Amino acid sequence: MKRFTKNIVSASVAAVMMGGAAAAQAADSVNVAFFLEWATPNQIAKVDKAYDDAMGVNVNWTNFSTGVQMTEAMLAGDIDIAYSQGLAPFITATQQGAPIKMVSVAVIYEANDCFVKNDLGISSSNASELEGKTVAVPLNTMADFAFRKYMQALNINTSTMKIVDQAPADGAVSLADGSVDMACIFGGDSAKKAGEVGTPIMSSQQKRDAGIGSFDVVSVTEKFATENPGLLRTFLEVTHEANANWTASASQLKKVASDAGMDVSTTKNQMAGFIFPTAAEQKEQFFGPKGVAVSAAESLGLVFKKPGAWNVDQKISKVITGEYLD
Amino acid sequence: MVLEWLSENRAIVAAIIILLLASSFLVSIIYGVQQTRLREKDQVFGDPERTVGGWFWSICGVSVLLLIWFYFSWGAARAFFPQAANELCQVGKLHEAISPVTASLAIQSRYSKSKTLLVRNSKQLRELKARLPVDAFLENDKVRVLKVINNTQKLINMMANPDFVGQKTIREIEKVKSRFAAITNELKTPLQSWSPSQKALQQPSWGISEPEIPMLPISAKGALFDLVSSEAKSISNDFLGIRNLSPIAKDLISETKAMIANLKKLSSASDRDPRIVKTRADYMKAVDRIFKRIDDGKIFPASVMTDIQGSVRTMLQQLEKSKGALSIVEILFFPGGDIIKSRTQCTEQGPGRWLPKPTDVVATFLTLANPDVENGGGYKGTTLLWWKWLPISDVVSLLVPDGLVDLLPGDYGTLNKQGNFQPNYKDWVLLFAQGDVYLGALPMLDGHIWDSLFRVLVAMFFGVLLGVPLGIYMGVSRFCKSFFDPLIELYRPVPPLAWAPLILTIFGIQDDGKIFLLFMVAFAIMVISARTGASGTQLSKIRASHSLGASDRQILRYVILPNALPEIMTGIRISIGVCWGTLVAAEMLAGTTGVGFIENVARTVSDYELIWVTILIMGSLGLIFDLMMRWVIARLIPWRGKG
Repeated sequence: MKRFTKNIVSASVAAVMMGGAAAAQAADSVNVAFFLEWATPNQIAKVDKAYDDAMGVNVNWTNFSTGVQMTEAMLAGDIDIAYSQGLAPFITATQQGAPIKMVSVAVIYEANDCFVKNDLGISSSNASELEGKTVAVPLNTMADFAFRKYMQALNINTSTMKIVDQAPADGAVSLADGSVDMACIFGGDSAKKAGEVGTPIMSSQQKRDAGIGSFDVVSVTEKFATENPGLLRTFLEVTHEANANWTASASQLKKVASDAGMDVSTTKNQMAGFIFPTAAEQKEQFFGPKGVAVSAAESLGLVFKKPGAWNVDQKISKVITGEYLD
Repeated sequence: MVLEWLSENRAIVAAIIILLLASSFLVSIIYGVQQTRLREKDQVFGDPERTVGGWFWSICGVSVLLLIWFYFSWGAARAFFPQAANELCQVGKLHEAISPVTASLAIQSRYSKSKTLLVRNSKQLRELKARLPVDAFLENDKVRVLKVINNTQKLINMMANPDFVGQKTIREIEKVKSRFAAITNELKTPLQSWSPSQKALQQPSWGISEPEIPMLPISAKGALFDLVSSEAKSISNDFLGIRNLSPIAKDLISETKAMIANLKKLSSASDRDPRIVKTRADYMKAVDRIFKRIDDGKIFPASVMTDIQGSVRTMLQQLEKSKGALSIVEILFFPGGDIIKSRTQCTEQGPGRWLPKPTDVVATFLTLANPDVENGGGYKGTTLLWWKWLPISDVVSLLVPDGLVDLLPGDYGTLNKQGNFQPNYKDWVLLFAQGDVYLGALPMLDGHIWDSLFRVLVAMFFGVLLGVPLGIYMGVSRFCKSFFDPLIELYRPVPPLAWAPLILTIFGIQDDGKIFLLFMVAFAIMVISARTGASGTQLSKIRASHSLGASDRQILRYVILPNALPEIMTGIRISIGVCWGTLVAAEMLAGTTGVGFIENVARTVSDYELIWVTILIMGSLGLIFDLMMRWVIARLIPWRGKG
């Protein structure tokens, strides 16, 4: 009786408020979120229906344009697994109390670059001259996180800078026009444009030395993880199998490129910078005690946390788990 | 101090506000009905006088809106049942604890997991059998592969058969059943007097701090649920450990496993065509995969499942009974969602999440409005609306371009022999032009709201200044109409966002680009409305003034302009509205300050309270503007609608 009344109330609320009432999950399908233009070997498994075969259920893939949207869809109950969600949207979501958790690392990639305009003659050796300059940063993204990390490593006080919130494409344009002195960029095309007129403040080697890197995560709803641990394990297993079978051969690249919606050369370039850690590597380096996952998440959490917010380090570690990697 | 007290006790504050709203709702209706009765006989339908006054209906409307907001955001629940969330959190703990059990039973779904597994895997086995690669296996290997498939199928059927359930499994299932019965009994026990721990009392109350809902139980009912949930968790773990593997099944499994291992070895032998080896390997992998899904013994006979299902159902029914008044509160005051316990916290899911409570929105607004930026006020280092000293030299530097100084005769100073800088007169002028000379300061508004307001106002100012004359001339002159019409009509339908990338390149990231974007919006609307107003002037009025000897200028000033005024005023009202609408897009281009900037950043972190604050700020600024415009219209064109 109670369920019934509650359903009536929910139905009318959904009608009145036009809110997305959580759709009941059909038991024999799993909904996965992914990004277009983000090439990963598991797209071969996706195209070949290896996931469907191994998990024994229908796997529906839906593409999203931002990680925040992935979180929203997971909270609405439309998505069970988000493949390659950015660490930043994952952390901000957990800080807002979203019942999701990180179960694996999807891809490790070099931290997004901050390009300094060439004619300023500023590099990492005289980086203190950046103080008082204008910087274009897409706020609350991994590029923002990388920016704060660079400034920390180079010992520059960000409060002296004028920070402008700009999407990467706009930031690249502003850098070329000279209306900003530095632009922090993610995405292939924008980075290419920014690279024409600017130079990364830190080289790949310097980034590695300073321990600044990025990775995308596989996040799942808590509900899916507790109710279908077997399916989740198989999902990760197939993903790692696809990563292991990746040889970057022409036929593989073609398959991934067509699924990612890019041409083959762009796909090749993009994937050249990607590392796909195996389950064993992840368990050892990322999810072990003092693992990279928790420490990166915590430092990111500190960057993004609201003033007066709760003790991030205590909570974040609890939503990061490698238990499904076996 | 007062604010802090209010913030700590927002539940009580909300309760008082809700009661006030409810009473103002009732009073305004009673008063409104009385007034309507009084005036009913004096006024004819359609008389504009009928719409004059009626503030009580405004109060009624606003109260209804706020009451709905309080209700659907679960603000009413928090106001009148401040402990409900904590108790529901304990219920959520219980639901979380038994979720592995319920997921494998037909409690929230139509079928049990055993049924789904059985049907799904049997179907896949049949398909696998049908597509056995004929040429990949030798005849006797084929027989072995088919045996593996048949064994797997046999295993599935054996597990689903109650006759084959082992004694150990039966004992374990009995134990789970009796433990569920035990916690059902526990739920039945009448509540005893119970006092919350010191730690539980120290938790911030619902919605005050970042973990929204206090986790530790603070009432006797909650404590009971909490206790039961920890017991249920251990039952769940036991349940997950149960394997339906009778000795016969175990034998079958080890036999099949060995056969699969053998067949796999066979497939890795590369004595034949590598393509065939691969086909064989793929096929064996598929067989192995299905076998591995079965061999952990997670399929149970229906009778076993029904037994456990019954005990869990009874437990859940008892839970509803034990909730008592709480379940009524839940149905009535928590519409459209639930309180969910996740790994680390209890959170509101449903409208409680995306529709923040009115009191919380006010609290967030007050934090933002706090001008003390150093101590957590403002947003991203800028106040919401405050004032500052604006150095006059900044204004000078804005008006005098630096390049002008370069045109002056003479050179800039250089370093002299002593190694000091020797400034020339030109350097001084440059300092002046760059605003580095102190010329006094003016008090000036500052902050996000002011920045947005400034952009809108400047854009409106130029839009009216240029748009109205052009529109009027387009209404009276053939040249103006024909010359400008194509230009304006060409750009007017283009949405402002489409201009955005261009504007960023042309104007850069400063205010001028944003203002220009808004100006383009305002300008088109002003031109159209002024033109419509001017061309709509009654010909008889123009002829009359002409025959009375008025000059062209006088006709324009005293006949056409006043006649166009109502349209122009409506144009201003519309374009201010559209300007606010475009502001968010304009401030997305290069956000440094402004209400739209706050909204854009809040969106990236799903901070709903902040999003609602910005929505309300923009809404109320629009409302204030409109009220001002109505006042101006009433003063400027009192004859409107009375001609």
